[in-house]
Amino acid sequence: MPKQSAHNRNLVASDVVGGSPAAGNAPRRRSWNGTDLALIGVFAALTAASIAVPPIPAGNILGVPITLQTMVVALAGLVLGAARAFAAVGLYVLLGLVGLPIFAGYQGGLGVLAMGSAGYLLSFPFAAALIGVLARPALRRVRKLTTLTTLWLFAAATAGTVLTHLCGIAGMMLNGQLAFGAALVADLPFVPGDLVKNAAAAAIAVGIHKAFPDLLRRPR
Amino acid sequence: MIKFRDVLVRPDFAEDAAPILSVPQLALGEQRISIIGANGSGKSTLLKLINGLVLPDTGTVDVDGRDTAKHGTAVRRKVAFVFTDPLSQLVMPTPLEDVELSLRRTHRNRTDRRNAAMEILTGFGLAALADQSIYQLSGGERQLAALASVLAVDPDVLVLDEPSTLLDLKNTLLLRGRLASLPQQVILATHDLELALDSERTLVVDSGTVIYDGDPPAAVDYYRKLCAGIRERMP
Amino acid sequence: MRGRAHLISAYVPGRSWLHRAPLLLKFLLLAAAGITVLSLPGALPRTAVLAVVVVLHVAAGLPVRKLVTPLRAMWLFLLVVVAYRWWVDSPAGALAVVAALLTCIYAANLLTSTTETQRLLDGLVAAVSPLQRFGADPERFALTISLMLRSIPYLLGSLHDVRDAAKARGLGSSPRAIVQPVIIGAVAYARQTGDALAARGLGEKEQ
Repeated sequence: MPKQSAHNRNLVASDVVGGSPAAGNAPRRRSWNGTDLALIGVFAALTAASIAVPPIPAGNILGVPITLQTMVVALAGLVLGAARAFAAVGLYVLLGLVGLPIFAGYQGGLGVLAMGSAGYLLSFPFAAALIGVLARPALRRVRKLTTLTTLWLFAAATAGTVLTHLCGIAGMMLNGQLAFGAALVADLPFVPGDLVKNAAAAAIAVGIHKAFPDLLRRPR
Repeated sequence: MIKFRDVLVRPDFAEDAAPILSVPQLALGEQRISIIGANGSGKSTLLKLINGLVLPDTGTVDVDGRDTAKHGTAVRRKVAFVFTDPLSQLVMPTPLEDVELSLRRTHRNRTDRRNAAMEILTGFGLAALADQSIYQLSGGERQLAALASVLAVDPDVLVLDEPSTLLDLKNTLLLRGRLASLPQQVILATHDLELALDSERTLVVDSGTVIYDGDPPAAVDYYRKLCAGIRERMP
Repeated sequence: MRGRAHLISAYVPGRSWLHRAPLLLKFLLLAAAGITVLSLPGALPRTAVLAVVVVLHVAAGLPVRKLVTPLRAMWLFLLVVVAYRWWVDSPAGALAVVAALLTCIYAANLLTSTTETQRLLDGLVAAVSPLQRFGADPERFALTISLMLRSIPYLLGSLHDVRDAAKARGLGSSPRAIVQPVIIGAVAYARQTGDALAARGLGEKEQ
């Protein structure tokens, strides 16, 4: 359906007018249109829906079960770019804090800020944005996606993982009055699984950009 | 008034290929206009140009003096678009919520919005189905719900892309009656020649150009002969 | 914005004074509980505050099960905390930390269990409204929230289908095989939604 993509490109191009002061590097970024809002809403929903998927017993070497949540956060950054990813994951965190039971274990509400997972959750929007920023250079030429692209995206996602785990450790130290060492011990078991997920997320993101080459395209 | 000037639309990623649509000069002012033509002739593109869902690669389209490329948002507020498949049109899970979505801008208060949405649905005979899932509605009910939602944004122009394709005869007649009663300017593309005759002016589109423009009965006649001619030429 | 909010909700219907109290009051009470418990030193006073919150919970007619759920969700973290604080400090020190945590969590649960999701979301949108001068757009914010809520059932369904399909193909399926179709479907779904919004002139910033 070549016509459909033409329309999407043109729709984007038609909205150069009226910048918004939200995140973005350009001095006057185009404002988001309905498709952007829908992508933000859908990825926020995806982050929420990911808690309902029981861990997938992945056939990886480490035998670590895969939960989807952090993978979706990485994918938001890799697929949507920094600004929309921040908005999507931020919306998820915000609605969870407001009280929707959409955090892991169907938790929700401000009480989550007192839990051990607080640091991880609060880091998600920033991790997604960081991943988006770092992934950007590799996705400039969507027509030529190579193994190198996948490796780059993996590295970007892993930078996000580092940020998330640092924040997570800080959160446990603060909420549980733990020393760094104790918090680190509680954190480490999740690292291998996250690396496996990053590899999958990078491969998936390449597939998505092949299917939708104009996802990150900016107006001329 | 909708005006096309020197409009060319090329396929995406193939700037040298033959244009999908070429409209040197066209002014659409009549209240009821129909567009007929074969599949892939460029009808849909012509329609999408009117509300800026597609922008011309060269030339301009303007609606009441506003260029669709420069004032896309403003134009889309004036010109609403009805898709062939109502399921792609309905954003919310029930007709009531979908109409409420359209009314969001004009009715800030939740209760007002709810009441106004119910009123609109009642006007379309859909009051009893207001809280049903859109997936439980029949094709005709869905098309009516989509029409109700689109009209709820109070557009000046309604553009419809083959609105009767998925409807049976009864629902098509219902839709025709509904369209006839609208105060808006209505521009529709259709394969249903009966529906095409419900207008003041008919365009025939073929291979990306408007090859006939005039009286509906004459245009339909021209289109019939065109199709027959093509068939005769084929072995 | 109404939507499927009730499908994903921690709300427990009831008619207690907490259910009827205004959202802002409940929010202030929650903040007060948090500040009080964190500013009180020592296990005993903190446990007392925790006891008050638990009594309120029961008085509001909320099920006891709701007190257990957060424990189940964070038992590992609690275990580490208790063991560590016990070791570096004392049993009382461990109790003080745990009491503070549970107070904050239960107090927040009181708010979410006694307030309908829609009211919470309305409150959120209202809280954003004063930011309009900085470019915030409550209308489009609310629209994005409804788009999110309406997408959750769809995405749950599609995750389910794809998981089943992967299972049917055998255990060898990678996370990628399971997730990629879901994401492709999600992006396509978002674009279709964007087109449907554009067809009505919705979702774009006022010019």
